[in-house]
Amino acid sequence: MDEVFDVLVIGGGHAGCEAASAAARLGSQTALVTLNLDLIGQMSCNPAVGGIAKGHLVREIDALGGIMGRVIDRTGIQFRLLNRSRGPAVQSPRAQADRALYRKEMRATLEATPNLHLRQGMVVDLLVKNGRIEGVEMQDGRKLASRAVVIAAGTFLNGLIHTGRRTYEAGRAGEPASIELAKSLRDLGFRVGRLKTGTPPRLDGRTIDWDAFDPQPPDEHPIAFSFSTDSISQLQLNCYVGYTTEKVHEAIRSNLQESPLYSGKIKGVGPRYCPSIEDKVVKFGEKNRHQLFLEPEGHDTNEVYLNGFSTSLPAELQQELIRMIPGMSEAKIIRPGYAIEYDFVDPRELGPDLQTERIAGLFHAGQINGTTGYEEAACQGLVAGINAARFLSSEGEFRLQRDESYIGVLVSDLITHGVDEPYRIFTSRAENRLALRHDNADERLQPHGRELGLVGDSDWERFNSRRDRIARFSQALENTRIRKSDKEYSALAAIAQGDLGDSMTLAQLSKRAGITPDIVRSLLPGDLAQTPFTLDFESALADSLYSGYLKSQHAVSARLRQHDSLKLPESFDYRGLAGLSHEMCDRLERSRPQTFGEVKRIPGLTPAALSTLLVRLMTQDPA
Amino acid sequence: MNTIVALATSVGRSAIGVLRLSGDDSLSILSKLTQSESDPDPGRAILRSIRDPRDRQLLDHALVTFFKAPHSFTGEDIVEISCHGSPIILRQLLDVILSLGARLAEPGEFTLRAMSNGKLNLSQAEAIRDLIDARTTGAARQAVRQIGGELSNRLAPLKDELLTLIVLLESSLEFAEDDLPELQATKVHEAIGLLRERLAGLAQTYDVGHWVADGIKATIAGRPNVGKSSLFNALVRFERAIVTEMPGTTRDSISEEINIKGIPVSLTDTAGIRQAKDHIETIGIERTHRAIADADLLLVVLDGTIELNEEDHLLLDQARTTRSVVVINKSDEPSFRNPNAANHPDVNPLVVSALTGSGLDKLRAAILAPFGSVDSEAVGLLVTNARHYDLLQRALEAVDSSSDLMAEKASEELVLVGLHDALRFIGEITGETTTEDILTQVFATFCIGK
Repeated sequence: MDEVFDVLVIGGGHAGCEAASAAARLGSQTALVTLNLDLIGQMSCNPAVGGIAKGHLVREIDALGGIMGRVIDRTGIQFRLLNRSRGPAVQSPRAQADRALYRKEMRATLEATPNLHLRQGMVVDLLVKNGRIEGVEMQDGRKLASRAVVIAAGTFLNGLIHTGRRTYEAGRAGEPASIELAKSLRDLGFRVGRLKTGTPPRLDGRTIDWDAFDPQPPDEHPIAFSFSTDSISQLQLNCYVGYTTEKVHEAIRSNLQESPLYSGKIKGVGPRYCPSIEDKVVKFGEKNRHQLFLEPEGHDTNEVYLNGFSTSLPAELQQELIRMIPGMSEAKIIRPGYAIEYDFVDPRELGPDLQTERIAGLFHAGQINGTTGYEEAACQGLVAGINAARFLSSEGEFRLQRDESYIGVLVSDLITHGVDEPYRIFTSRAENRLALRHDNADERLQPHGRELGLVGDSDWERFNSRRDRIARFSQALENTRIRKSDKEYSALAAIAQGDLGDSMTLAQLSKRAGITPDIVRSLLPGDLAQTPFTLDFESALADSLYSGYLKSQHAVSARLRQHDSLKLPESFDYRGLAGLSHEMCDRLERSRPQTFGEVKRIPGLTPAALSTLLVRLMTQDPA
Repeated sequence: MNTIVALATSVGRSAIGVLRLSGDDSLSILSKLTQSESDPDPGRAILRSIRDPRDRQLLDHALVTFFKAPHSFTGEDIVEISCHGSPIILRQLLDVILSLGARLAEPGEFTLRAMSNGKLNLSQAEAIRDLIDARTTGAARQAVRQIGGELSNRLAPLKDELLTLIVLLESSLEFAEDDLPELQATKVHEAIGLLRERLAGLAQTYDVGHWVADGIKATIAGRPNVGKSSLFNALVRFERAIVTEMPGTTRDSISEEINIKGIPVSLTDTAGIRQAKDHIETIGIERTHRAIADADLLLVVLDGTIELNEEDHLLLDQARTTRSVVVINKSDEPSFRNPNAANHPDVNPLVVSALTGSGLDKLRAAILAPFGSVDSEAVGLLVTNARHYDLLQRALEAVDSSSDLMAEKASEELVLVGLHDALRFIGEITGETTTEDILTQVFATFCIGK
């Protein structure tokens, strides 16, 4: 062996960066191996972080001690809180990134991390002995020893790019595909499938008639992703919104034979929520225009990302189509869009720690697990990195529950249901959506991060002060009453357009239509009305808004969990149970659950198998 | 899947007795019993000699039917062997089958296998149990409808409607950045109201439905010798209770079940109420009071040939405060005079003769009247199962809370709480709707994604 590490991470994308950073900070000598050190933290597709539910993930990553939130806070060029008009549980931060700056900042963050070693090169083989990982072999012949390996190879595994009828092997445009590593995974017996994703063309901003588009301004007061960020001070930019026309659609329709999607060349399944422009035109033929976002790629570049126009049509046709868009008659493409097919490994082969069941010490994170999105990848990298370090120190696995985090929802969805298209997070995937707010990710997860050892002293202190402030606000909301005799009463009743009774607490008042947070704030006693901690106050209000629903939701889930305490007999015979595959029987026999509740938490059990088991348990002789 | 066997008909002597096998080995066990190489045609009954393969002893001549997986009740290979209904032969044959590798089925295991192989959903499986337990044609008819999936079918459009609403609201939440049609709050609110009405309509059928399944308990009460037992016998149509001229003949309560328009009515004849003459009669009268308290319906019998006394009036008072029917018996007697029930204006007595049967048809109709004037053999699908009713009721409450929130213009994530809950509750009747199902519908409905 040429070098020896504790943990080795393959890939320097969003999953790989989090994995390497977490493992190193937990004390493991960690290597991050990547094809090109200058492209660490590269955003392969749109230059943005966050979005609905995705923003929640980033804040959870941050609360646990991950790095994505800090890096985007320093490099974001347009921050917006989405769904502002809706309840706080479904609001989510999003930011356009300066693509180059994000890479630079990410690399600097990794380089400043003790125990973390960057290595450039291509991994071509996994060294496995007796079902355990022992290291990797590089294309240049080096062998790196490591008892824990995280594969975070993104779209590089057997990557195949399509533009029009042309195809070529590549991991991203201009970078080589990872063919041998993909082969070694297949040789090890992993169940491998194909997925597809795509990206739109990038344009030269100097060739666009910007007046033809509607500006989309940034938020006046940007909401940061990281709980450690005081404020966003860098210059903020506009994005622009425009639309395609029937003429564009017509041209696409008459050239569908040029599209590898429609000629049958692409076999992999693409994400439904990121359809190509070809897909949009074909599947929603009745729509006479499709929305486009023009997103600047950074402060120091003319490059513009044409969000909404993902395509795998031939490059010269892309150029023609772009020119049909109003405001783009002179526009020039800098980089054409393309589709890419790549290998993924069935995530049902993983445990909740993202370790493969097949090979001890081998972890998978990001697109290899069938997900799409930087945020989805990053949170898996974090979970895998933490668990790789804990695997070596024989500490127990770290897992998050569905009811406490979107990360828990994502991991449990992946390992339980697998994927048949690229998996993206949605708020509707979380049963406990109302409790999982972006602004209370710290309340939910920072104690975990602290216990793991990823949250430092100053962040922990910051967390505790914020928690105290929220508690003071909450108390004041519950304990301060507005009474008929108060001078503000009649004005408030007029705003709320209704009877406020003899008296009500500020918490009750805040739920009335028309009553804004500012009004409630002005009614707080003493110095609370003036303290500058608006975000903390809003968190207290949100806690109060949802508290009643959370209680009744609790009752519903208690009903759904009412059978969890049913005991399984010691010698329970799963083989005799209809509807269970041999594989599931093996899993159950290995883990020997004691109660029905424990059975439910075993990944991979179908609802049908569960209800069969439940009926059996309920009809069994109680003796 | 290992192979199970059980007696499919009831234990005891009968014309035929049926053993049923389900599982992979059903066919090979059959071929050992019939010593036949060729497989029987699926779905066709054939006559075969059944022998014990160990000593080639002839056990019986039986009609055997093979149902090939997945076209069978359980979805597995099934073999049914119809023997002569001798408990001895059936026991012997069962032992032989067990020795050939099958195991005895646990209670409900055939249905369980049908469920887990996707042949039945939970409400269909429940309906099979209800059908076997059905005591009247009405109850049986309702159960058959549910086995056919009629309840699931009735719920399916409600579920679709719910799903459409969820998709609308979820899309507007999840894809705020996308170019979706503006959410029409008033339309959504109206649709929720409509859905509520349809759910309520279905839940309401339980008012009648539960009597169809559970039956009505009717207690006949009156003072001694007014003809309670005669009336009881007339209604059950045989001499079940002993009838004499002597007051106080009936010492203990007795019950029989009758079928009125498909609804099972459990009729209880009781000891007449009076100052008891001995200890046994005291106990009997206590039981009468208990039977009255337990009853869904009180049937007060008065004697039309004598004046009402204090006990009659006490019973009539009771009749006014509960579901009841009052009859004046002995219309066949010459001394019959319609006694004046004028001081009980709420009571509308029926005139009957237990002896001649006059007025009994009206009485039967009157017994059902307080339970919703319904002919269970004629009406549509009824919710008959308490669990289904409970779930529908919960779904209704959940939809109500969503409707209230829409009225308050609350944010979508709050309105959605009730809709998701409702879907979950309905799902407990018809089977689950997953998040994936919802997302699939979202992407089929809207053009989403940048």
